Amino acid sequence: MSEVLLDIKGLKACVEGKEILHGVDLCIREGEVHAIMGPNGAGKSTLGAVLTGKPGYEVTEGSVLFRGQDLLSLSPEQRAWLGLFLSFQYPIEIPGVSLVNFMKAALASKRKAQGLPELSPAEFLKLLKEKMALVQMRPDLAKRDVNVGFSGGEKKRCEIFQMAMLEPVLSILDETDSGLDVDALKIVAGGVNTLRSPQNASIIITHYHKLLEYIVPDVVHVLKNGVIVKTAGRELVSQIEASGFEGIDG
Amino acid sequence: MDRELIYVLGRDECPSTFKLASGQRLKATLLAPRGVSGSFDICIELCGEGAELDLAGIYLCEGEQKVDFRINVRHLVGNCKSTQLFKGLADGKSRLSFDGLVYVAAGAQKTQALQENHSLLLSGDALVQSSPQLEIYADDVVCSHGSTIGSLSEEEQFYMRSRGIDEATARELQIRSFLSPVLERLGEEDLRFIL
Repeated sequence: MSEVLLDIKGLKACVEGKEILHGVDLCIREGEVHAIMGPNGAGKSTLGAVLTGKPGYEVTEGSVLFRGQDLLSLSPEQRAWLGLFLSFQYPIEIPGVSLVNFMKAALASKRKAQGLPELSPAEFLKLLKEKMALVQMRPDLAKRDVNVGFSGGEKKRCEIFQMAMLEPVLSILDETDSGLDVDALKIVAGGVNTLRSPQNASIIITHYHKLLEYIVPDVVHVLKNGVIVKTAGRELVSQIEASGFEGIDG
Repeated sequence: MDRELIYVLGRDECPSTFKLASGQRLKATLLAPRGVSGSFDICIELCGEGAELDLAGIYLCEGEQKVDFRINVRHLVGNCKSTQLFKGLADGKSRLSFDGLVYVAAGAQKTQALQENHSLLLSGDALVQSSPQLEIYADDVVCSHGSTIGSLSEEEQFYMRSRGIDEATARELQIRSFLSPVLERLGEEDLRFIL
């Protein structure tokens, strides 16, 4: 059987003193795509934030192992170096920092941490062009400040572009479909599918089935009120589509 | 005649008064590098029509450092233009004060004056005091001033770190982007000196 990448046990987490996750268990193996579905406010984005180490999220109980390491003791950048990636629901704008410099810094940090030599400027630009093309991003966006003035669709494509550049082992896509029209959705899904391999895995967080028509999950979880109430195969998506989250309880 | 001047605190002697005659243009940049305490006490008079002042400053305050800017820009005649942009950081237990006065004399019509001061507070023990002031005795002028004191955005920082950019580099990128409108004015030598 393929190796376990992520192993979450009894995870409880608070934001501003309020418990949002009440004990989440989740196991993800190499090559798998997991969908986490659930209504608004279920704790889906909190799970993504806790896994990537966002400040302000406090884990009160439970454990998370990522590739055998205690993920929760690591800084956000150390988690990225290990191969974790979060596609933000609301990508952040960074005025004054161009996308190309941002990616240069990110790649340089990661390669340094992995003991790899820095890419030459030519190698870097080749990679940048190739990965931008993957999500059909306009090349001029590379020179613009990170996400500043990008449309909603451009921001989401830019997230997948960054994911392609960093080649993560585990990608968490937080509501990547929100605010996307069908064409953009297809482009984003196409990018994600191209990056799928037997060695990596993804978590697709969504409250809507549309994206899962294009990125077909192996396992589907329903998260409600901070706990996973049901886990099944992809057939669960159509059940949710037909009857909503109301009728799903363990 | 155009002049472009750079004064570094602790390195260069900065005159206390500048007078700009008709049509004269002055571009000046004042730098307060890390660890150097002191003050810039400057009065710039625009005495002849068509004179232009482009003034900027950077301060990088840390530790026990104390830096004061006292800038007095005086529009004595009409049809002159002045812009001022001061940006910098206050870390450690440093103290930064910026007192900027733009004076527009009666009759100095068609004056254009802009003054901005923006600071990043990097430590809870640092102190920034900013008092931009306008004193205007003419009625046909375009004058504005602004001042902000903020801190590094935690959201930006988390976004960068989630991409694998280490904390120190993320801070450096944020600081560089904040200072870039003034850093752009410097040549390589001064840039290396200040950073």
